[in-house]
Amino acid sequence: MAKPPFTNDIRTLRFLAGEMTQGDLGDRVGVTRQTIAAIEQGKYSPSLEVAFRIARCFDKPLEAVFQWSDDAD
Amino acid sequence: MAFREKIHWVTLMTMILAFGWYFFAYPWQIVGSPAGVTTTAGMLVPVTIAIIVMMTLATAFLAIRNPREVDTREDERDRSFHRRGTHYAYYPLVVGIWINIFLIFWGIGQAQQLNLMIATLVVAEIVRIGTQLYLYRRGA
Repeated sequence: MAKPPFTNDIRTLRFLAGEMTQGDLGDRVGVTRQTIAAIEQGKYSPSLEVAFRIARCFDKPLEAVFQWSDDAD
Repeated sequence: MAFREKIHWVTLMTMILAFGWYFFAYPWQIVGSPAGVTTTAGMLVPVTIAIIVMMTLATAFLAIRNPREVDTREDERDRSFHRRGTHYAYYPLVVGIWINIFLIFWGIGQAQQLNLMIATLVVAEIVRIGTQLYLYRRGA
């Protein structure tokens, strides 16, 4: 599968949120730790619902977590 | 490795071992005779029991070793892997069914049809589980 045409700052946001683990974020979002890891690495493109849930966990707007890659246009 | 992935590995290995034994041990010289059908039925009983026992034991063992992940439900990524696995498994299933249809017109025996259908199902299952494992390994 091709890489998603966007990047994300989940790893940084987790660190800033008291070094939240992938498992903790996964529990709060309703996905597995492995899914969070895959999203962070850009290997898996989450659904809109999960993307919004992740952003809500960090109390950030969606575009503060996921950014469209300019070279993907 | 996630609990769900381990279960898929166990399922794949169990299928290969159980049906590997079935197709290896089947007395192919009688497949064209009426005894071929009863032999198929008779051999499917231990295969089914072996699959149930192996899966139960392996699942219990893995559940004891991974108690935190046991209650984890399938998430959207797991479901997408499942859908893709099922999608790819559809092709060998269709090919097997069409081959069977043509061979029925050709006049093959019941036991041969039965074995072809079992083989089709086994191949489709291996493709389904194998696809899921490939996607889990790739981390996609």
